[in-house]
Amino acid sequence: MDCAPISTGLSPKPLRTERSLRSRYGALVAALLGTMAMAATAAGAELLPAEQAFRFSARALDDRTLEARFSIADGYYLYRDKFTFVVAPGGAVLGAPELPPGKIKTDEFFGKVETYRGTVVVKLPLSGAAAGQTVVLTADSQGCADVGVCYPPTRQKLSLALPAQGAGPGALVDATPPKKSWFK
Amino acid sequence: MTRGLVRGAIVAGVALAALAAGVYFSQMGSRDPPVAALLGLSLPDVDGREQRLDQWKGKVLVVNFWATWCEPCRKEMPDFVRAQADSGGKGLQFVGIAIDQPDKIRQFSNDLKLNYPSLVGGYGALELSKTFGNELMALPFTLILDRNGKVAYAQMGPLKPGNLDAIVGKLL
Repeated sequence: MDCAPISTGLSPKPLRTERSLRSRYGALVAALLGTMAMAATAAGAELLPAEQAFRFSARALDDRTLEARFSIADGYYLYRDKFTFVVAPGGAVLGAPELPPGKIKTDEFFGKVETYRGTVVVKLPLSGAAAGQTVVLTADSQGCADVGVCYPPTRQKLSLALPAQGAGPGALVDATPPKKSWFK
Repeated sequence: MTRGLVRGAIVAGVALAALAAGVYFSQMGSRDPPVAALLGLSLPDVDGREQRLDQWKGKVLVVNFWATWCEPCRKEMPDFVRAQADSGGKGLQFVGIAIDQPDKIRQFSNDLKLNYPSLVGGYGALELSKTFGNELMALPFTLILDRNGKVAYAQMGPLKPGNLDAIVGKLL
């Protein structure tokens, strides 16, 4: 197996394999530890998969309003102008999303750029759907991590049952349910 | 005398075998399926001309996956421009694969006076970076191939300028 030394350059503490690579026998060690170095990439970066860094959930407030929510992990941010929301099946249509103001920073290439951290709640006007109907909400978002990497646009999907008339808001549905872990 | 000849023949045979093995193993790099897939890629440049990555075979090739919407990507690119200017003559070749729209790539390339090609890659090109360890398909992601087409270095996240010079310096 041909496996190059992979450095993430992200971990504040160099990985064991990275330190080894700087040694005199770097090439040899790299060849021997090739498989290990590859495994270390995923763990060493400690970079969350996009679905976990930008956790998407939503609920139906009523049959005419959906509420999308992104819980953004510490050290990560989302771009305000990169959201796209689509609802299915045909007939159901979303109006313009009501995005709260973000934090503005000046980007030398794009000018003013608005970003979100923490939790973002977006109201989505819905038409053409009936109370009690189930709709599928698809959200595209795009963000980066402070360690210096960006994610490609990420698509997340969930199904929402619209509440019956007068029944009050539906339950919050997670696109990616939290993973069970033995260590928590 | 005969013993000398026999010994000579054995030495020559061993040397030949070693040479054959050396040639074989030096070609192993380009037979590496992910590298073969990468070098076999043909992507349009910002003017729409198809560019095959294997046209730079034999050079020290730095393949940088980036996007204009990726601030950390843009930040490190002036260092690539400098390195290309300094070491292009010695056989260093940078190639950008931008996960972006051609007009944005062109604008940024002009702004930065990019002195190496940046090709227009889609999601498929970014997916290829997974085979080199970029599981999350994060940007920037940089691969450095030696002159034999073997992966010498791969990094997710920006390269430190000192690091880049040190790695590339050894390969040139």
